[in-house]
Amino acid sequence: MSAVTIIPPAGEAAATTEPKRRWNGLILPAVLILLWEGASQSGLVDDRLLPSLGTVAGRGWSELADGRLAVDIASSLARDVSGFAIGSALGIPVGLALGLSRTLDRFVGPTFNAAKQIAVFAWIPLISVWFGVGEAAKIAFIALAAFTPVVVNTWAGARSVPRTLGEVADVLALSRWQRLTRLEIPSALPSIFVGLQLGLIYSWLATVGAEYFMTIGPGIGGLMTEGREHFHMDLVILGVLLLGGIGLGLNKLAALMETSALRWKRY
Amino acid sequence: MPDQGTLEIRNVFKRFEVAGRTVEALSGIDLSVAPGEFVSVVGASGCGKSTLLRLIVGLDRDYDGEILLDGRRLAGPTLDRAIVFQEHRLFPWLRVEDNVALGLLKSALPAPEKRKLVREHLELVGLSAFAGAYPAQLSGGMSQRVAIARALVNRPDILLLDEPFGALDALTRAYLQAELRRIVRSEGITAVLVTHDVEEAIFLGDRIVVMHPRPGRIAEILPVDAASGQDRASTSFAHLRETVLTGLGAGHPALPGRLAA
Amino acid sequence: MTNLDLDRVAFEAAVAERYRLSGRRFGARAGAGVAKRAGTIAAALIFPASLFLVWQVASLFDLVPAQILPDPRLVLATFREFYDTGDLAFHARISLLRVLQGFALGAGAGLLLGIAMGLSRRVREFVEPLFLALAQVPALGWIPLVMLLVGIDEALKVIIIAKAALIPVTINTSRGILNVPRSYREVGEVLTFGRWQTLTRILAPASVPTVFTGIRYGLTNAWLALVAVELLASSEGLGYLMVWGRQLFQLDLVIMAMIVVGVIGFLLDWSLGLVERRLQRWEAAGS
Ligand SMILES: Nc1ncnc2c1ncn2[C@@H]1O[C@H](COP(=O)(O)OP(=O)(O)OP(=O)(O)O)[C@@H](O)[C@H]1O
Ligand SMILES: [Mg+2]
Repeated sequence: MSAVTIIPPAGEAAATTEPKRRWNGLILPAVLILLWEGASQSGLVDDRLLPSLGTVAGRGWSELADGRLAVDIASSLARDVSGFAIGSALGIPVGLALGLSRTLDRFVGPTFNAAKQIAVFAWIPLISVWFGVGEAAKIAFIALAAFTPVVVNTWAGARSVPRTLGEVADVLALSRWQRLTRLEIPSALPSIFVGLQLGLIYSWLATVGAEYFMTIGPGIGGLMTEGREHFHMDLVILGVLLLGGIGLGLNKLAALMETSALRWKRY
Repeated sequence: MPDQGTLEIRNVFKRFEVAGRTVEALSGIDLSVAPGEFVSVVGASGCGKSTLLRLIVGLDRDYDGEILLDGRRLAGPTLDRAIVFQEHRLFPWLRVEDNVALGLLKSALPAPEKRKLVREHLELVGLSAFAGAYPAQLSGGMSQRVAIARALVNRPDILLLDEPFGALDALTRAYLQAELRRIVRSEGITAVLVTHDVEEAIFLGDRIVVMHPRPGRIAEILPVDAASGQDRASTSFAHLRETVLTGLGAGHPALPGRLAA
Repeated sequence: MTNLDLDRVAFEAAVAERYRLSGRRFGARAGAGVAKRAGTIAAALIFPASLFLVWQVASLFDLVPAQILPDPRLVLATFREFYDTGDLAFHARISLLRVLQGFALGAGAGLLLGIAMGLSRRVREFVEPLFLALAQVPALGWIPLVMLLVGIDEALKVIIIAKAALIPVTINTSRGILNVPRSYREVGEVLTFGRWQTLTRILAPASVPTVFTGIRYGLTNAWLALVAVELLASSEGLGYLMVWGRQLFQLDLVIMAMIVVGVIGFLLDWSLGLVERRLQRWEAAGS
């Protein structure tokens, strides 16, 4: 199990939980925001280059009011989630197969490792030829982005099932299926979750990428592209905030799922 | 069935390659264990005791010689042989009761029956209150008791134990020794126990196998007559203990008796 | 919540990756014979070779249209042509230069920031939350913003690549220092080490493997970001070659560029991987 363990911050780091100190983290953002606001209010910086917070908030509100923002967010999220679901639904079995079968590991593993070296965005031109530039292409690309880290980590987890526990399964004469469900999957699970979390991060990155490159249909990427083309900095900043916020939310959700699935690791 | 569980080990050799050198872990082991017999194995660290158990249980089939169970050559682990490993080897993601139930996964018993067996065996090792705990919440000795329950739960013909009580306090140890002896006797289980505790070996064993290291081999086999095994305070018990210790010392690399071997 | 999940994920992935490197359970033991090695390589080649064969046969018999999958010989010919004319070297050089510039900038800044956050609780308290919040925005998310600020020239590419490299380097550096076991520090205390000695004798050597893993991830991320920016806004470089090939419906060019991107990405990662394994040698004994 040593393959994936959380090493908690050591030494003094552990002491940072004092509630008073937590607020310190807000000081720097607050100062930056004040500077920003001051610069744009005072007219020191071109308002078009650095719109005030109020402008960004106003833009957010008006986009929200005419319903467009909700459509963009929902479209991006739906794409992200479908691609991620497909990618991990394929990635987990493939990773398990690679990790549990010596033959697959030997014969297919190196090919996978070579193919994963192709930076994922390099697939976009090919995917857009194969799938067009519509929804199917975007989802295919997002799925591919999620697939790779899920396979890599599931594979590593499945390969490092402790030999000592494998012997227990031998002695108890477990069937192939029992071995898989009682030993191999639970043992690989922490690693699988790392893969899923990375997959989530990559699929969100890929969602943005897909929306930039295949600019048909609503989405946050499209919103930002439009903002850039028309020099609407407020729209672009709104997009950045949305990307960060949603990315953070997705990660939190994944972490929550992980803690509930890995209860035995808490002790 | 009384004739189940005859174990015959004939001229078994086992070698390992360690860093390019050949280590003879077992050398010419000959041992017959009758059904229902309890054999204790003692010997210095590294003399091949665990290796011997691994061969008997069928985890390692790469050896020379023959190991026969009821006259048949072993072809891998089966449920009629159970082992308690030197380390507890519980599945950390399963609760205590599910770990014990692992032993019954392959059994055809109905589910309620299985649950009852699990409960009984947890009670036997005194861990009923911890049925729902995860292994990481147990102490070393508690974990070892769960492992014992897991091995006993499907009533094997042959039970192999690798220092099962090493991590226990004296009281629990004495209690479990007595329980083990009772179960093994009443069920007619054939047992092989590896231990460093000579008194334990005498108390539980019908015979004591003394092994010497490098190469791992059987130095002598001492019978324990029923009377002296029962009473730890008797002089025959003390005498046997001396004999075993002397036998051990003769093969112990750190002791002067080595020259005599 | 001082540490976001992102850093944990990055860290765990690093550990998993390292585990993968440090030796397979069943795999070739140290000192495996040449024959065994050759067998491993042969096994590794059978699958791609058969894929290639299927591809070639499919093209020969026109089983797939050339607009979907061009004949591999055409890809090879395109490669020869680009190689001979020096075009390939030209574009690859531009991409490499960009990635190295951006990476140097991002990794350098990441190291400094990571060291500061690892050593000083002050810095960590004030800077880390903001840093981690910004890290949540995917590297690509900054492109429109940076475009408006600096245009679509080299500066855009270098900034985006640097940002991509910065995140893992910073996180792994600060984690690497923070995760030096308390017991090591205590050894230093017992030996009455000063600050400098603690830093050079304990913290630096103990954290180097983690830090380096971050650097390696940083380079991978930088290469990924390079391809993205070149696809979006460039008139030179490997990413541009792909866009160009796509527009001309020359899939042979697209696939050739993909393979080159893969090979360069592999070589970059592989060379850092070699260094990483050397650095982590002392750890093997402990695992
Ligand atoms: N998997 C293995 N690979 C190489 N050598 C091994 C292996 N298992 C055991 N050995 C060697 O075989 C010898 C016997 O080991 P074994 O574990 O059987 O000893 P033991 O009698 O159980 O010792 P202990 O009382 O310390 O548990 C040792 O010299 C050991 O180094
Ligand atoms: Mg042993």
